[in-house]
Amino acid sequence: MEAHAATVEHAHGPPEAHQSSRIDRQTLGILLFIVSEVMLFGAFFASYFFLRVVANVGPWPPEGFDLPTAVAGVNTAILISSSFTVHYALVSIQRGNRRGLIAGLGATWLLGFTFLFIQFNEYVHIGFSARNGAFGTIFYGLTGLHGAHVTVGLILLAMANIRAWRGHFTSEPKKHLGVEVPGIYWHFVDVMWIIVFTTVYIL
Amino acid sequence: MVAALKRPGLGRAALGGLLGFGFGYGLVVVLRLISGLPATQTAQTGYPQLIVGMITAAFGFLIGLGAFDYWFRWAAGAPTYPAELEHKAHGAHSWRDYFKFNTDHKVIGIQYICTTFVFFFIGGAMAMIMRTELAQPGTQIVEPGTFNSLFSAHAAIMIFVFVIPVFAGIANYVLPLMIGAPDMAFPRLNALSFWMLPIAGLLFVGSFLAPGGGFDAGWTGYAPLSTGAPLGQSFFNLGVQFAGASSVATALNFLVTIITMRAPGMNFWRLPLLVWANLSTSLLVVAATPFIAGVQFMVLFDRLLHTNFFQELNGGDVLSYQHIFWFYSHPAVYIMMLPGFGIVSEVISTHARKPIFGYRLMALALIGIIVLSYTVWAHHMFVSGMFAWLRIPMMITTLLIAVPTGIKIFSWLATLFGSKLHLRSTAMLFALGFIVTFTIGGISGVMLGMVPIDIHVSDTYFIVAHIHFVLFGGSVFTIFAGIYHWFPKMTGRMYDERLGRVHFWLTLVGMLGTFVPMHWIGMEGMPRRVADYSAQFGDWNLLISCFSFLLGAAQLIFLYNMIVSWKWGPLAGDNPWRARTIEWLVSSPPPIFNFDQIPRVVGGPYEYGVPGARHAILGPAEAEVGAAEPAVAGSAGTGPT
Repeated sequence: MEAHAATVEHAHGPPEAHQSSRIDRQTLGILLFIVSEVMLFGAFFASYFFLRVVANVGPWPPEGFDLPTAVAGVNTAILISSSFTVHYALVSIQRGNRRGLIAGLGATWLLGFTFLFIQFNEYVHIGFSARNGAFGTIFYGLTGLHGAHVTVGLILLAMANIRAWRGHFTSEPKKHLGVEVPGIYWHFVDVMWIIVFTTVYIL
Repeated sequence: MVAALKRPGLGRAALGGLLGFGFGYGLVVVLRLISGLPATQTAQTGYPQLIVGMITAAFGFLIGLGAFDYWFRWAAGAPTYPAELEHKAHGAHSWRDYFKFNTDHKVIGIQYICTTFVFFFIGGAMAMIMRTELAQPGTQIVEPGTFNSLFSAHAAIMIFVFVIPVFAGIANYVLPLMIGAPDMAFPRLNALSFWMLPIAGLLFVGSFLAPGGGFDAGWTGYAPLSTGAPLGQSFFNLGVQFAGASSVATALNFLVTIITMRAPGMNFWRLPLLVWANLSTSLLVVAATPFIAGVQFMVLFDRLLHTNFFQELNGGDVLSYQHIFWFYSHPAVYIMMLPGFGIVSEVISTHARKPIFGYRLMALALIGIIVLSYTVWAHHMFVSGMFAWLRIPMMITTLLIAVPTGIKIFSWLATLFGSKLHLRSTAMLFALGFIVTFTIGGISGVMLGMVPIDIHVSDTYFIVAHIHFVLFGGSVFTIFAGIYHWFPKMTGRMYDERLGRVHFWLTLVGMLGTFVPMHWIGMEGMPRRVADYSAQFGDWNLLISCFSFLLGAAQLIFLYNMIVSWKWGPLAGDNPWRARTIEWLVSSPPPIFNFDQIPRVVGGPYEYGVPGARHAILGPAEAEVGAAEPAVAGSAGTGPT
């Protein structure tokens, strides 16, 4: 058997794995990763619940905490529109439209970066820090956690951008997973922002 | 020398770690100087320069190791090649390959098992020190503060870098083989998951070097004890992040592998129960572990950035720590147990030579356990002062978990019923021992689920007894069963069964002698987590300590047996247990890509004694498949027996 193992070792590469599900591994992988990300947000939303409902009775946000809801609303619109541009990029490459792919990905990245920049600006001018009471803590906790996810999304999209410029994706199935998978993550980041925005700024 | 530092490997990893630490440390110092603050900060919950430095050091280590080489190329749009063709990074040709970033699931499995057993012995040594201290009332060899760090580190090491990852290691090795896959779905992610583990372990062990001593708030790290503790606590917070990220990534990998890479014919009702167990465990890990990551981030933020998550005076909520923590950590006890259930199912069915009793119900019971496990977290908090209305619902759901667990226990017993039991196989002995000790632990768990009993014995040695009956008598026994069962497959050699039996009986006696009396002194009120105790418990504690030394010494027999047998043991052959699952149909150890051709599955995995039943067919040489095709060397004669 030892000899057998040795011959097989150098005979050929790995056998093609049998595809036992309609979903491909990369897509399923990112979906499961998103499940775990949702639960990470869940931990911070749980903390939000305890801080707002259990530990602090009275007005919420407390006296002296003013949120720039209008600016954040515009910012929300910017982020949501980036979901459409990333979808446009995916549809473009599926139809073989390389120019549309590059334009869509580039626009998505710029919109995402604009969102992050406005968010950062908001932190600078908001007038309270994460040390100021339970509200400051959970405000920065939730928006900061989301901001970290936007950053990760931008890194993934940057890879997709670079590869698109270098001519990597084609319209065949599975040849543009590098656009599709970051796109799924980006949609998650957008949907999560809607929930965070509603919870923190509106409710 | 310079060339060695340019090549991916431990040398470059060490350099990367140093550079990473320097970068993080420097970054904090520079930012602090820009903000007009003193360059370093050494308040006991602070040390941002060290914390950030440790995080960047870990990433520097991983980059140096070569964990990201492929991804960097991919991200830059440079030409890439599949890991399988990357000869240096796939498969082990010498022992040195086990110390590299390797993408072969079999190599990673061995890396996992060996690393986690190193931590098992480190954690065990801590237990021995604690039992020495507790042998008599008063202070013997360690100060109470050190004792607190010891029990905290013992638990953290055993849970986060032994029990959880060793199961991942065993499954890493056998699961792709069992489902007929050439490797895991994401081989590079798999390797990255493994290499985050030593980082976590080093942080736990290294915390003893921190100013103020190791973390001492218990493995639970309750706020506000943890938010005000010395620097060592931050090591715990970070270590949990790395161990957690490692297990989430591994679980994701298992799920994708099981769903998308099963061999033709391997439908869900033909999966071996080990695969079912890892499927359900991975679902738990993916959906629960982020909660502990989240709550440890909050503690770290409270310590470093002075946020108010758990600062009652500033509007924080102390109790929310326990809710969020246990929302992970109760499912975590099933993360530590379900893979063991899978191992025991394999071992019992194979060694009893009988089909597993109630296969489908066994699988469904696993799903029942994971669903219920999300609904019981507050039974750890009956005495915490939480919402009183939550107690009764949590008690009921807790007791309900005994139903699916009972289904499993009775199914194993029914599998054993009428079989020809012989007590010569060590794997089987550990599986049988597991049924006994885990049932005892399960019953004391049901007792603890009842609110009045729980209130009476909270924070006593009864809890210590219960947790060790389920984690040592449960998880660790199944780990030993699994290691003995698959040792011939992993190494190609046979271990010494006689030494194995000695190991089992000494472990069983040592385990019972150590943990049974803890129930009694716990009922009488001896508190846990203390270095000193009332003189009335002295005799019992001396007895417990003696048995615990026996238990510790017995593990050295295991160590000796494994090391010597790996090198000099007799050749085991492909299928020493005459088992049916696919990993036994290939050579021992399996060839580098597992199969020449993906096997085809034609029946259930446990059809022992069923005439003509087959589980899987390997290669085209089999008569009933394609008689016209020429035989492939080696695949004949590896069919099921």
